Amino acid sequence: MKKLIIALSAIAAAVGFTTSAQADISVSGSSNVAYVSTSGADSNGDEELMVGNTVDFAMSTTTSGGIGISASMGLSQDYDTNGQTTSSSVPSGVTGGNAVTFTTGGATIVVGDVEISDTIGAIGGVVNGPLDDGSDLSSSAASGFTDDDGLGAELTTAMGAASLNISYVSNDGADNFGIVNSSASGADSAMSASITMPMGAYSFTIGVADSDTGESSSGFTASGAIGGGTATIGYSNQTLLASHASLTAAGDSDVYGATYVMSMDADTTISVGYQNKKDADSESSTQTDLSIERAMGGGATVYLDIRNLSGDTASNADGSAIAFGTSVAF
Amino acid sequence: MIKTILLFLLVFFLQSCGPFKGDIEKNLEEMDKIHGKCNNPYREFTRAQKKICEDKERAAGPDGKVDDPINLTKLIENYRNFREGNFSTSYGGGMSINRNLWGASLILLEQYPLDIVDAQGGFISTDWIIERESPNQRCLIKINITSEELVSSGVKVRLICEQKELDVWYQDGVTYAQEEKNLILKILEIADVLSTTEKLS
Repeated sequence: MKKLIIALSAIAAAVGFTTSAQADISVSGSSNVAYVSTSGADSNGDEELMVGNTVDFAMSTTTSGGIGISASMGLSQDYDTNGQTTSSSVPSGVTGGNAVTFTTGGATIVVGDVEISDTIGAIGGVVNGPLDDGSDLSSSAASGFTDDDGLGAELTTAMGAASLNISYVSNDGADNFGIVNSSASGADSAMSASITMPMGAYSFTIGVADSDTGESSSGFTASGAIGGGTATIGYSNQTLLASHASLTAAGDSDVYGATYVMSMDADTTISVGYQNKKDADSESSTQTDLSIERAMGGGATVYLDIRNLSGDTASNADGSAIAFGTSVAF
Repeated sequence: MIKTILLFLLVFFLQSCGPFKGDIEKNLEEMDKIHGKCNNPYREFTRAQKKICEDKERAAGPDGKVDDPINLTKLIENYRNFREGNFSTSYGGGMSINRNLWGASLILLEQYPLDIVDAQGGFISTDWIIERESPNQRCLIKINITSEELVSSGVKVRLICEQKELDVWYQDGVTYAQEEKNLILKILEIADVLSTTEKLS
């Protein structure tokens, strides 16, 4: 990335685009190539090749009063989408640009498209994006609000060693432009609050969320160093509506999860994850993950991911999937 | 709506007036150690930023450093030379340090991850070494070869250890003179074997 910044600065200086502002524009990117073999998708399973690239342009400046202001936009060809899509009102491949972040010494405030924390405690997934997105393994047990993001603001602040996060979505029917006090159907508000506190060798996070739609959730995670790695356990209870895509009856979903991440050496990480969830339709599933990553130097990594999903799923959406891939960060 | 604005103003007020005082960046870094930077729920990322963040995190590995790209040709060549005991070729011709002391240092540290290996300067530093039995203590070993001759004064060893208290690492302030001396003696012993083997071959 530094090389790119220097190159961009040199080009700007050469053509006379000089400025005295204390601003910075940085460019970063990454590439992914993965082979996925999964029992999902159809009765015979699938073997997939997934290739994607992402570029991000981050802009930031600092005022004379010390307030940092930043925003970013990116271009992305997702590894789980074939070719560019044009179905959205957003130009294909463009990501971000919907929020601006203000930073002071003790707090970060994001204004624009924010997401509330409605699934705190619902942990257990440790595999990388290609397998997570492309395995076609999918539980029928419902979790997560029907809509958890929209136009609003988010505050993260420090209270000594503890951190507090409050997210507020005033209109979940809009992202970066919309009415903040809309009474239109489907334009609901939602809010979440969570706090993370270190306690000795452990760290605890508790959080609650509530939406005007009638959905609510609460959960916790606890983490600590055990046996040379970091273990995390979590629990999330979510009250969801019958209109949820995976539900026929309104009620509570319970999600239990655990992860364990351990460094084998300076470049190798092994992670295991477990998640069990059950919803108001009495549908349940159990997901088990294993991921081994090895940094190769120069920004490249190779990884091996394995996921098994059992329980209530759609047709041909359970079983095992394995991915072998590489990612390169620029 | 007014209640929401008042809530945010109240939080801002409290944040700047005492009980909410804290270093958010420091707290976020502590949470990064648990969740990973990219999955830290208190960090905001766009979809593209999250992807790139994850790829960078993977590329850095557990030690958090993106190493230089691996040169497979050089790797195979070095391995072949090391196996054949050809240290001068293996670690660069024209080195101004004793190759047997250098080779002995590498053999001594072969079970540990190495952070710095400077064959020209004769300097080796391990990464932090943490034993499973003592997760709150970590040490690193620095070895400096200072002589072209195989002499006892041609190698210097420093052992630095840190102690973790409340998730922060502090130097333990202990001098490990005896341990350093033992390591020097071990290096000299291995170097002597290498030197003898070299003369016989």
